[in-house]
Amino acid sequence: MEGACIKRTRKSINIFNTTEEMAPAYKLTYFPVEALAEPIRFLFSYGGIEFEDFRFDRENWPQMKPNMPFGQVPVLEHNGKVAHQSIAMARYAAKKAKLVGNDEWEDLEIDAIVDTVNDLRQKIALYHYEADAAVKESRKEPLFKETLPYYLQRLDAVVKANNGHLALGKLTWADLYFVAILKYLNSMCGGNDILADYPNLTALKNTVLELPAIKTWLEKRPNSDM
Amino acid sequence: MAPQYKLTYFDVGGTAEVSRYLFSYGGIEFEDVRIKRENWAQLKDKTPFGALPTLEHNGKVVGQSVAIARYLAKKVKLVGDDDWENLEIDAIVDTINDIRLKVFPIFMEKDEAKKKALIETLKNDTFGFYLPRLEAEVQKNKGYLVLGRLTWADFYFTTLSPMFDLITGEDVLASYPNLKGVKEKVNALPVIKKWIEIRPKSHA
Repeated sequence: MEGACIKRTRKSINIFNTTEEMAPAYKLTYFPVEALAEPIRFLFSYGGIEFEDFRFDRENWPQMKPNMPFGQVPVLEHNGKVAHQSIAMARYAAKKAKLVGNDEWEDLEIDAIVDTVNDLRQKIALYHYEADAAVKESRKEPLFKETLPYYLQRLDAVVKANNGHLALGKLTWADLYFVAILKYLNSMCGGNDILADYPNLTALKNTVLELPAIKTWLEKRPNSDM
Repeated sequence: MAPQYKLTYFDVGGTAEVSRYLFSYGGIEFEDVRIKRENWAQLKDKTPFGALPTLEHNGKVVGQSVAIARYLAKKVKLVGDDDWENLEIDAIVDTINDIRLKVFPIFMEKDEAKKKALIETLKNDTFGFYLPRLEAEVQKNKGYLVLGRLTWADFYFTTLSPMFDLITGEDVLASYPNLKGVKEKVNALPVIKKWIEIRPKSHA
């Protein structure tokens, strides 16, 4: 690894508990929640890639925000550079963890599913984060009666047609992406299990959560509600 | 022989134009299908997730405009040299897409007073936040958005930026000469100039 061995105090968990004092090659910075950083954490864990999982205190965010590339987190530091945008970072981690396609079309199929899951997340967020109570209430029924079923039925059918996975009939980063943000989606939907009526998606969730590397991560990661 | 690719979208530039640019740039023949708004309701449920654009190739159909553009960018070699470089491109594309997501709903707003207020917020909070930062990226990158050279991020920005002027009725990039330079540079590429001449004459 390039650079000097860095000794520094960490307010984060060194997942792989090395005896050397060298910092991991990657540092992921985010709020103390799962949400949009969790797919990256899942993917690094699956790939056996050491990373510093830095979770800052919420009250420090106003000072940190101006120093972020586009005022947002998560960010990923590596070799003195800082990257942003959670899905872009997840795609990068997926390549390192070898959970990508074998050619460009296969990668397109995976990307399309991830972007679709992200579309669903945004529609849920439009409801959850709405500050005006009356507007929020007006969005509730269309979300639960139309939008969620529209997406989840189709995603469930994709998993059924793909041997229990979201793309290519095998495990790809689309599967880890979806399962990693599930708690966040559920919390935005009032804490319900949005997969309750979707057996294929539920089975996929269990498949991913039972992968040995993911199980290990789940045991080590800090608790959070979203 | 029929083209190997079929791109389906509405009869506008929108989120499909970047892919039309990429096909043209790479000299890749494609069927440029434009559907009429009144036919959308019947076609919607035939798409993978009820959205356009879609790309058909070898009997398969996928959606998602950014994913399609990334695929084509690889085909026409407007990508990075390694995984980190592609991360940098992807991040700028996603950032431009974040701007688009703030612009797009305003077109749907029917209440004129509300729409005016939303446009003011867009100008101050969204454009005012993102455009200076993107302008700085172009200054750092020798007149391009990323990596100091032409990538699909420049195509993405060029084809989405007409939306900024359309919603505000202003020349939004007037105060951002470097960003304007990206757009002018891309649109002046001979193959792109040719595409602009031959494409159907619909608005942004």
